[in-house]
Amino acid sequence: MAAHVTSAAVIHVVVSGLATGSIYALMAISLVIIYNATRTLNFAQGEMLMISTFVGWSAHEALRLPLPLVLLIAVAAAAALGWLVERLVIRHAIAATHLDVLIITLGLSLVLRAAAGLVWTHDEFPFPSFFRERPIGLGPLRVAPVSLGIIGGSLALMLALAALFRWTRLGRAMRAVAQNQRAARLMGVSVERVYSASWVLAAVVGAIAGVLIAPVIFLSSKMGLVAINGFTAAVLGGFGSMPGAVVGGMLLGVLENLAPLWLPAGIKHSVPFLLMIAILVIRPSGVLGRVRQRKV
Amino acid sequence: MRWAAAGAGGVVLLCWPLLVPPYFVFLTSLIVVNAIVAIGLNLLSGYTNQLSFGHAGFFAVGAYVAAVLTLRAPALPVVATLALAGLATALVGLALGIPCLRLEGLYLAMATLAFGFVVVEAILNLDWLTRGNDGLAVPAARLGPLALGSDAAKYYLVLGVGALMVAAAVNIARTRTGRALLAIRESEIAAQASGVHLAAYKTLAFAVSAFYTGVAGGLFAFVVGFISPDAFDVFLSVDFVAMIIVGGLGSIPGSIVGAAVITLLYDWLAAFQNYRPLLFGLILIGCMLFMPGGIASRMAKWTHQAQ
Repeated sequence: MAAHVTSAAVIHVVVSGLATGSIYALMAISLVIIYNATRTLNFAQGEMLMISTFVGWSAHEALRLPLPLVLLIAVAAAAALGWLVERLVIRHAIAATHLDVLIITLGLSLVLRAAAGLVWTHDEFPFPSFFRERPIGLGPLRVAPVSLGIIGGSLALMLALAALFRWTRLGRAMRAVAQNQRAARLMGVSVERVYSASWVLAAVVGAIAGVLIAPVIFLSSKMGLVAINGFTAAVLGGFGSMPGAVVGGMLLGVLENLAPLWLPAGIKHSVPFLLMIAILVIRPSGVLGRVRQRKV
Repeated sequence: MRWAAAGAGGVVLLCWPLLVPPYFVFLTSLIVVNAIVAIGLNLLSGYTNQLSFGHAGFFAVGAYVAAVLTLRAPALPVVATLALAGLATALVGLALGIPCLRLEGLYLAMATLAFGFVVVEAILNLDWLTRGNDGLAVPAARLGPLALGSDAAKYYLVLGVGALMVAAAVNIARTRTGRALLAIRESEIAAQASGVHLAAYKTLAFAVSAFYTGVAGGLFAFVVGFISPDAFDVFLSVDFVAMIIVGGLGSIPGSIVGAAVITLLYDWLAAFQNYRPLLFGLILIGCMLFMPGGIASRMAKWTHQAQ
């Protein structure tokens, strides 16, 4: 089977793999942002992405707004949703264990998905795209502009995030809380503000990822499932590490797209899960993660 | 007093098919099946604090093993079929549990979640055995010359197996093993320091939990009579988790009550499909925020105050 695969085809598959991979990377980043602040996993991340993308789409349908404005509305909706969820639900569970919070976010994901189904039905809708689907020739290669657009947009967002974490006051506070919450509090960092900011930031990253990917996978109440691949990407790169999330996402996207070229087609959907189990079993700290020593 | 109440309850359960219409008999069978899963899941999550989001996977393995055995070896008595379904699932549990020993908390939740997806994909891909998306029609269970075809017959099968499983779980919980598991939940390090072999007991919990869920899966196949992969999706795993959260982590009566509550809600809300996840989600959030020990701890508090 491998003999029939030409190198141009492989490159085409790798590029589209990098495109889906960048979305996984963005999902992984948003999960890691919340994990670093609150040490819990947000099971509702995908559903928050879905809701904010739907809000943007509704604005587009109702008012015929141009796409950049739709993106802005989706981002604003995501920020409001992230803030509300943290303020109304998560903060009340401050005494709960991490697993309890995990179950709360699981409940949230069910609620958000059902609510979206009630408001927008469970059908699939086409979403307008910044980029065209038709492949263009780049020398001997043919790639879809939408793939390049997704990769470019994601990379720009990642650079912006890196700058935020490195150079702004908020970014420094978030890194301090991730390292040691008590020490950060003693240094005058408002840990509560960092919690809020983390949920808002994670939701915003999710909304941008949603607007980028919705034209490709269609807009539907099920699109939140993309977050599961975000988990895998984050685990692959080492949960808690931002560069790891990016590398993990890209790796997962490419592997998922390459696997069907050599393995039976039925396996494609299992690739992320098998990969997740494999990496957790072989190297739970991920490709770039460091092994963490536990203190008694 | 307690024995009298238990005796009366037992008599009602035994006469149940004579008292209520067949649909309620079927519903009660489902409650018992789910209670067995909830007890199995609670032995793992409630007792050793290893949260699993993949029990629908174990349930599916049990259901398919029982269904395929009944189709290929019709002479096998149902007790043997169920035991084999449980053992096969326990083996799968060992295969997943041993590598997962290194994982805890979030990571274990994610690995088991992934396991659930892989099982469904595997069922779809093994279509020569499982007939993929078309599903399998499961013939009636046989006990020697008897074919357990009616709702009442299935109910007695489920009730008998369920009673055995509950008795076994109560005994496990009361013995050295149960206390070791509880010690692991409270603090792995303290348990280890007191001489509890962590790896052995955590693996045991995984295998026993998978065994319970596998047997329940087999019973489910017989009760419903038709199984297909879409019945075992990740939302079923979430329902199982909801049962033990609502009922109470680490409590066997709680598991049964939780299974009954979720199964009945599921049935009552059948006409409101779209609202069901909304309500289940709110229940999960509400339980975690306002009633962390579930119904079991609430009841314990009430009886305590009454005394």
